[in-house]
Amino acid sequence: MIEAAINETAARKGRLSITVSLAILILVGLACLLGPWLTPHSYDRVYRDYVLVGPSLVAHPSAEELDTSLAVLTRRIHADTSSYERHGGSLHLTLTSAKPIDPRVLRFFDHSDLFGPAQIIPGETNESTLAFDLPIRQTYFFFGTDANGRDLLTRTLIAGRISLAVGLLASLVALLIGVAWGATAGYLGGRIDTLMMRIVEVVYALPFIFLVILLVVIFGRNFILIFVAIGAVEWLDMARIVRGQTLSIKRRDYVAAAEALGATSSAILWRHIIPNAAGPITAYLTVLVPRVILLESFVSFLGLGVQEPLTSWGILIADGARNIQAPIHLLIFPALFLGLTLAALNQLGENWRDRTGAGGA
Amino acid sequence: MLRLFLTRIAAAIPTLFAVVTLAFFVMRLAPGGPFDSERGLDPEILKNVQHAYGLDLPLYKQYGLYLWSLLHGDLGPSLHWRDFSVNDIFSVALPISMQIGAEALVFALLCGVPLGMAAAIRPYSWTLWLARIVTLCGIAVPAFVVAPLLQVAFGLDLHWLPVAGWEDGDWRHQILPVFTLALPQIAVILRLTQAAMRDVLSAPFIRTLRAFGLPASHIYVHAFRAACLPVLSYLGPAAAGLLTGTVVVETIFAIPSLGRYFVDGALGRDYTIVMGTVVVVALFIIVFNLFVDLAYGLVDPRVRHD
Repeated sequence: MIEAAINETAARKGRLSITVSLAILILVGLACLLGPWLTPHSYDRVYRDYVLVGPSLVAHPSAEELDTSLAVLTRRIHADTSSYERHGGSLHLTLTSAKPIDPRVLRFFDHSDLFGPAQIIPGETNESTLAFDLPIRQTYFFFGTDANGRDLLTRTLIAGRISLAVGLLASLVALLIGVAWGATAGYLGGRIDTLMMRIVEVVYALPFIFLVILLVVIFGRNFILIFVAIGAVEWLDMARIVRGQTLSIKRRDYVAAAEALGATSSAILWRHIIPNAAGPITAYLTVLVPRVILLESFVSFLGLGVQEPLTSWGILIADGARNIQAPIHLLIFPALFLGLTLAALNQLGENWRDRTGAGGA
Repeated sequence: MLRLFLTRIAAAIPTLFAVVTLAFFVMRLAPGGPFDSERGLDPEILKNVQHAYGLDLPLYKQYGLYLWSLLHGDLGPSLHWRDFSVNDIFSVALPISMQIGAEALVFALLCGVPLGMAAAIRPYSWTLWLARIVTLCGIAVPAFVVAPLLQVAFGLDLHWLPVAGWEDGDWRHQILPVFTLALPQIAVILRLTQAAMRDVLSAPFIRTLRAFGLPASHIYVHAFRAACLPVLSYLGPAAAGLLTGTVVVETIFAIPSLGRYFVDGALGRDYTIVMGTVVVVALFIIVFNLFVDLAYGLVDPRVRHD
């Protein structure tokens, strides 16, 4: 009775944590996939007037930002602001100067990230005064901006695309190599098996991270290369697991029956062995994907990942870490996304393994 | 025991050979060379420099020469740090790496094992929650996030500890790097201990001991011995993980140690430094795994190899 009750609570807890982690993953995935199109900024657009702005839900520019920007701009065009009023979304501005003002100086306002195109009011303008309407451009930086004045929200989402893509593709590479290698070794058996597993053992002792770094440094920071390099070093455990499964599956009656019916080796592998080994393979995939994402951000952190202006979570975190004197939001937001993804994937994997009872480190 | 020792050494030789070969040819296939600079050297001078380091020989000869000197324990001259041989550099850098790594490993064991045991012994108390939080942090917060946060908190805000640097191993400079390095390992060790302890505590021999009326402390000693096996077998991968972690930690905390030389060397095509690091790290992992296997035999009589 009691045991059944405990199992029941455990199962309910398991379901809850699966739901939560799945929800987090789907949210992060959707945000990264669709988010960059929905945010009003492009990931490589530089806002020179908004460098290192803190995260806020309020639209920029604020009153102080408006004042400083106006002061800077009027000083630059050697004029004084005689009056300025704010009407909702636009400014009514009158500039005066001892010398005649060339209306072309309004370009300075156009180029600012704070204002839209200026409209001269002809009636109030003469030689030494210039009156114009200046629409204020409202911009939102929910996550703030980085040291180059780029929107951190968009960059974090774009980075997520890269990180998740590398995670999935590299795992796919590892999956393909590992399954093919393990299934072949296990099914053929004998000397070929010994030889193939011997190779796995030798490769196992290689210092991986060092090899990945070496590969990435040497063959350039190519997006494709990064996940091929990572996938090419992460297939070993997969090969071992699949081989173990294959060894046990190939003794089953249905394999013997297939053999008796004259099925070829490759048909047996594809039809019977690989589908029946799918459980442990999926279980291991849930371990592999977060590991690969972590490895990619690690490589990126060292400055060896994809190249600017593209970015990944590791690069953003490295940026935040490099100038720790700068506002901490540069570090927090990408780290939050990475952390949530890793935690959710891990939780999912753990529950999966508990439910299927499949092992795997 | 001796037989295990010998077979493992015999198995290590092809591995090491593969490592050396792979690293050598990957490095040489890379575009660019160690003497590239913005302006470029005069071709005549470049030829002389390359001749001095034997880089103008055919590749197979260079490979043979490298293997030969490696057999004599000579890792060659560094191509970037003029007047230093790789052996010179490593004799300074390697002890630092090993010191940090060893301290982190000990710290991780001291935190992870007791916490994991406590969480397994009293599963419905605050220890379980503490264990959960630590595990989650270790998994979800990578070292390169922890390190800058620690730097900001303890270095810049509180001024308790130096932000970075090494200062010949002053203890205050070691705290943050060692903690950062240990955190992910604590999480894994904790989880392993917890799971193993939980399994062992429900094993028949523990029930028998309980039935005999042994005091709880005695029972836990017995359980501990059985439960530390997975931790022991994890020490090999843990050492490898620490070595990897050092690259990041050394970069962030500006510690003049192996990982830093490796990354700089790879970027600057310092062939000998890179080869040296790869060989040393591979050797280290192999030796460490061997020790772990030997220790395993000591703790668990079922797998004694003689």
